[in-house]
Amino acid sequence: MGLREYVIRRVLLVIPTLLGVAMLIFAVSQLFTPEQRATLYITNEKQMQNIEAVIRLYHLNESVFVQFIDWISQVLQGNLGYSHTAKSPVLLALLRKLPATIELVVWSIPLILLVGIYVGTQSAIHRDKPVDHASRTVAIIGWSLPSFWLGIMLIAIFFAALGWFPPERMSTATANYIYLSGEWRSYTGLLTIDGLLNGQLWITLDVLRHMVLPTITLTTINVALIIRVMRSSMLEALGKGYIVTARAKGLSHSEVINHHARRNALIPTMTVSGLLTAGMLTGVTITETVFNIDGVGRWAALAAGGAGAVPDIPAVLGFALFTGIVYVFTNLIVDILYAYVDPRIRLE
Amino acid sequence: MNIRHRLEELKAEMSPAKKELEFTLKRIRKSPLSIVGAVIVLFYVVIAVFAPIIAPPVTSDPYRIWRDGFSLIPKPLGTPVEDPIARKAGWTVHYFGTAEGQFDIFYGCIWGTITAFRVGILVVGISLLIGLLLGCVAGYYGGIVDELLMRFTDIVLAFPDLILAMALVIALPAVALIDIGLFWAVVLCLILPIIAGRTLKLRGSSNLMLGIICLLTFLAIDIWILGSPPIWIITMKLSQLDKVLIALALVYWPSYARVIRSEFLRLKQEDYVEAAKAVGCSDFRIITRQILPNAIYPIIIMASLNMGSIVLTAAALSFLGIGSPIGYADWGQMISFARNWIWAGFQNPWQYWYTFTIPGLFIFTFVLGWNLLGDAFRDILDPTLRRK
Repeated sequence: MGLREYVIRRVLLVIPTLLGVAMLIFAVSQLFTPEQRATLYITNEKQMQNIEAVIRLYHLNESVFVQFIDWISQVLQGNLGYSHTAKSPVLLALLRKLPATIELVVWSIPLILLVGIYVGTQSAIHRDKPVDHASRTVAIIGWSLPSFWLGIMLIAIFFAALGWFPPERMSTATANYIYLSGEWRSYTGLLTIDGLLNGQLWITLDVLRHMVLPTITLTTINVALIIRVMRSSMLEALGKGYIVTARAKGLSHSEVINHHARRNALIPTMTVSGLLTAGMLTGVTITETVFNIDGVGRWAALAAGGAGAVPDIPAVLGFALFTGIVYVFTNLIVDILYAYVDPRIRLE
Repeated sequence: MNIRHRLEELKAEMSPAKKELEFTLKRIRKSPLSIVGAVIVLFYVVIAVFAPIIAPPVTSDPYRIWRDGFSLIPKPLGTPVEDPIARKAGWTVHYFGTAEGQFDIFYGCIWGTITAFRVGILVVGISLLIGLLLGCVAGYYGGIVDELLMRFTDIVLAFPDLILAMALVIALPAVALIDIGLFWAVVLCLILPIIAGRTLKLRGSSNLMLGIICLLTFLAIDIWILGSPPIWIITMKLSQLDKVLIALALVYWPSYARVIRSEFLRLKQEDYVEAAKAVGCSDFRIITRQILPNAIYPIIIMASLNMGSIVLTAAALSFLGIGSPIGYADWGQMISFARNWIWAGFQNPWQYWYTFTIPGLFIFTFVLGWNLLGDAFRDILDPTLRRK
C-alpha cells in the first residue's frame, strides 16, 4: 500500500471516530433535564427567557434519535450553545480563549520533548547506574505530584516569597498597552510572537516571565511519560544487530548513540503523543486555573465548578468535545507521520 | 540422605508456582523502590485503620472535619483547642493548625486517608468489573463484537480523564431515577437468547451475536416505537462524592477492558486452552478457570498504578470545586481552601503555608507509594520483563 492510499484510508477512519466522540458527548448531555439542555442550542441570552420555545423547536422532549439529529446538525453548523460564564456563544469563547492556551502548550511541548528525550537516552545508556536510578526516581516523582499543588507551591516560593516569576498571563503595564494604547496589532494571538512583530520586545519578555512557572508545572507532570518511553525504546534499539555492526565498524560512541540508536528509538516515542496530548489538555485545565491564565482550560474549569454557581453546561460539554476532536486529529497526524517515517506500518 | 535431598529437589521442580513465588519475593527484596512503595502504602493502611483512635471524631459524621470557631483566618500549628465539645473528645492542640473556617487540618488529613482509599478501591473495583466483563467478551470471542467494543473504548479514551469526569460529575443528577426494570429487561434480552442458543447447540460467537441482535432489537423497539416508557423506577440520592465515584469509574474502565482483551487474545491461543476446548469445557469455564488466572498480573499492575492516578484525578476535581463539599475530609478539598489564601494573601503566603503544604504532601506521598508499587510490580510480575 502506498503512502497516499494509507493516508486516505486513515483520514476516512476519522469520520466514524468523530461521530462516536460526538455521540458520547450527546449521551452525557442526555443526563441533563430538557430545561438545562436548552442552553446547548441557544446563541444569545434573550432566548433563555423562553425556554419552552427552545424545547419545542429542538424537540427536546422527544426520542433520543430525533434529538441527536437536531443536535448534530447544530454542532455541524458551529453552534455549541451559549456560555453564561463567558457571556458569548461557546464556539466564539473557545476561539477567543484558545491563543493563551496554545501559547502555553507551544512553549511547554518542546521543553518536555527535549528534556524527556535527553534524560531517557542518558538513562538507557547508563542502565542501572546512578544516572538511571536518579532519572527514574525524578520521573516517578513528577508523575505522582498533584499538578495543582505543584503550581501552588511554585507560586508560594517563586512569586510570593522570592518575587521572581509572577502568575497570570501578563503584567498590568502590558495589559494596558495591549488593550488601551490602541497601538497594539494582533497577528497570531500569541503574545510572545505578536510582541516581536509589533516591535515591542519588552512585551515578549514580560509574557515569557509570566509563563515560566506554568511551563515548569506542565513539564514536570508530563515529562515522565516521555522519559519512560524513550528509555525503553532506546534500550530496545541498543540491543539490535545494527548497533553491534556500527560499533564493529569502529564508529565513535556518540556517533552510534546519536545517529544509529536514538533515531530509531524516537519512532516509538512518537506513538505516545496521543497520551501526551491528553496530559497537556488536562494539564492546562489545572495549570490555567492555578495561575489564573485566561485560556480555555480555566474557562472550562470555572464553568464546571465554582461553589454554588450554576454549572455552565454548554461550556463544559463544548470543551470536552473540543478535547476529543483535538485528540482524534493529533492521532491522525501522528499516524500519518509514523507511516511516512516507518514504511513497514503501511504494509500491515 | 542423598535420596532425601534429591526428593526435595524433585518436589521443588514439581511445584513451579511455589518457585515462581519465591523468585518474585526475591526480586521484591532486591528492589529498594518497591520496598519504599510498600512501606508508604502500609503506612497509609495503618492510618486508615486506626483513624478513629488517632483522630477521634467530634461530630456524629466522622467525615466532616470538626471546626474550632468560624474565623476566616487560619491558626498556626500547635494552637490550643478552644471548642469545649472538641476538648471533651480529647483534642487539646491543633497539631497541623487550622484552615480557613477553623477546620482542623490534622483531623482532615487523617480521615482524608480513608476517603482516598475509599475512592481508589471503589473506582478500581467498579471499573475493573466493567472492564473485565467487556474485555473478556471482546478478547475471547473476537470478530465483530470485539471490533464494536474496542471502537467504543477508543472513543472513551479520546477524552482526557479529568475533562470527561468533570462533564459527568456536573451531568449526574443529585436524585437519580434509575429504571432497574429496563436494566433487567436488557440483561434478560442478552442472556435468554444465549441460553436458548446453547440448547440449540450454537457454538461460540454466533451464540453471543444472537444475544446482541436481540438486545439491539429490544432497544430499538423500546426507544423508537414505545418511546422508552418507565418499567420499574427506583430513586437514588447521589451525594457529591458518589457522583465523583461514578464519573471516575465510567472514565477508567476502558483501560482495563483494553488490557484484559489483549491478555485474552494472547492466552486463548495457548495449548492448554485448546486442550480445554477439545475436552468440551464450556466457554464460561475456560474463561474463568483457564485464562483469567493467567491474566491476573497485568491487571494487578494496572490496578496499582490506577490507584494513584484515580486519587490524583479525584483530588483535582475537588480542587476545582466539583468534588466533595466544603469541610469534607478530603485532601484535594482541603487544598482548594488554600487557593483562596494564595490569591488573597499574596503579600505573605508563607504565613499560612500549612494550609496547603500538609494536605498536598499527603496526596503526593500516597500517590507516590502506589506508583512505586505499581512500577515495581511491572518489573517483577510482568512475564515479558521479569527474567531480564
